[in-house]
Amino acid sequence: MLVPLYTFVKGDTLGIVVLVQDGDTIAALAETIADAASMRVAPGSEMTVLAGGKRLDPRATVSSAGLTMLDRVDLVMSSERAAPASQVGMSR
Amino acid sequence: MLSRDEWLDLARKLDWDFSYVTERDVFPEVTSGSPWLRQEEWKDWDEPFRTTYAEYVANQSAKEASVRAVREAVGQAADFQKLHPHWLSALKLHAATLPLAEFAAVVGNLRAARFGRDSAWRTMSTFGALDEIRHAQIPLVLLHDMVRHDPQFDWTHKFYHSNNWVAIAARHLFDELLLASDPIEFAIATHFVFETGFTNLQFVGLSSVAHAVGDRMFETMLKSIQTDEARHSQIGDAVLAKIVAHDPARAQYLVDKWFWRTWHLFAVVTGFSMDYLTPLASRRTSFKEFMQEWVLDQFVRTMEEHGLSRPWYWDTFVESLDAYHHMVYASAYSYRATVWFDFALPGPEERVWLAEKYPSTWPMFEPVWRRLADRWRESGPGVEWHSHGATPVGFCDLCQLVLSGGTPEQNTAVTVTRGDKKLVFCSEPCRWIYEQEPSRYEAHDDVVKRILAGEAPANLLELLRKYFGLTSATWGKDVERGGYRWLGEE
Ligand SMILES: [Fe+2]
Ligand SMILES: [Fe+2]
Ligand SMILES: [Zn+2]
Repeated sequence: MLVPLYTFVKGDTLGIVVLVQDGDTIAALAETIADAASMRVAPGSEMTVLAGGKRLDPRATVSSAGLTMLDRVDLVMSSERAAPASQVGMSR
Repeated sequence: MLSRDEWLDLARKLDWDFSYVTERDVFPEVTSGSPWLRQEEWKDWDEPFRTTYAEYVANQSAKEASVRAVREAVGQAADFQKLHPHWLSALKLHAATLPLAEFAAVVGNLRAARFGRDSAWRTMSTFGALDEIRHAQIPLVLLHDMVRHDPQFDWTHKFYHSNNWVAIAARHLFDELLLASDPIEFAIATHFVFETGFTNLQFVGLSSVAHAVGDRMFETMLKSIQTDEARHSQIGDAVLAKIVAHDPARAQYLVDKWFWRTWHLFAVVTGFSMDYLTPLASRRTSFKEFMQEWVLDQFVRTMEEHGLSRPWYWDTFVESLDAYHHMVYASAYSYRATVWFDFALPGPEERVWLAEKYPSTWPMFEPVWRRLADRWRESGPGVEWHSHGATPVGFCDLCQLVLSGGTPEQNTAVTVTRGDKKLVFCSEPCRWIYEQEPSRYEAHDDVVKRILAGEAPANLLELLRKYFGLTSATWGKDVERGGYRWLGEE
């Protein structure tokens, strides 16, 4: 079954509506959200999905995580991209 | 001949006792508004202008003549071509959202001209209705005329007859404000909050910006309209004083509700225009600075004079001054094909200006614009879709605008279950307004619900073409088509 969700990426300027299957994993949901917002927010290497303030297990499915139609879901991405070699010494 | 003072009040302020009907039949509460007070209570109602009909006609006729003269002097194709392309987007935004809303204001004024509770109020509302007719007609003729040079100006007439998402939001606001409100709510919402508090932003603030960009026609038009607003907005103060005296809680509720709704509208219309669509060299103050001068300082003082408190969400409002229009502009930029005007991508110099004006929040917006600029670098000029969203966006079930409350760090959207319906609000004030009078709002579906119900297509291109009423010639693009020189230099 298709489940539409209101999704918010940390760093983004609006909420978007993502359609997923109830059997999709939370990890796949994260990829879908990140891709949908990618023109405004650069994808990060680590992704955390939250609902109601709680972190969801990336291996859970949309339905086993208890998400239902038009729930709010948040995606936080870490921007730990490899820094250019010249800057590494300065920033760490 | 009688002198003016001898006959004036007989013409503008004449109420009498009814002999064969009751006062409640002549002025039913449902059409006259709450609280319902006897005429006795209203009889000292007055406003400072005390205009006669003859004076009204003479003044308005002179105003029309000067607008016409400016149009003849600077309304040629060559004058249009001199306008900065970014500024044209501000004109298109104004042209679509305001003139036909002024036409709806005719209806609100006419309702008060019949059902307002004092004859001096009814007299002023009659002038107000005549004012709003010219506020609709003048911009319709001046701005729609530009369709000869640019097809997006067709939206001057088309906008409110479409199901474009911005039109749905604007109708949701203006239908309630201007068409569905009783004269008391209309007086407080439209005359006091909207006209006294906010229209200065667009009609004084943006008019001075129009002067700076060299758009004499728009400047003259706005100033001419504002002289009328300054007069008929006086109804608001006088009605509010009466309602505060008899039902202060209702007065406070109406101000709180309409301040928030009106703020959202002007944050988009004036906020976009001042901080993004005005060429940098012509910018004077930021939208926030203008808000502080014209709305915060003056409006708060007026509220206090009436013995009212600041709206309960004041801290949220003050925070949103630094963020809301930036949130919506960046969002709309990346969904620009869903509207009828073009967007400017803020370049390095503009971002420096924005960072100076919004030091506490701009660091959160800078990465979004850098990312959008990177997408243009990847695609090269002319490829709109690489820096454009394709996934449907969410809309607030009260304001019907995108879910852009709060900041990029913390979006304030809340979901609420009511019966079998799941609702979403962009902010706590939007949720509060809805929950005060759910029966007023619950039959209205936002765009997402229309898509889920199969009333509107889910595919973005289909949605633009079949539901939002746009074509590839009229939908919004980057105003420079991504061809900014600085993209190669930054
Ligand atoms: Fe008006
Ligand atoms: Fe008005
Ligand atoms: Zn809202």
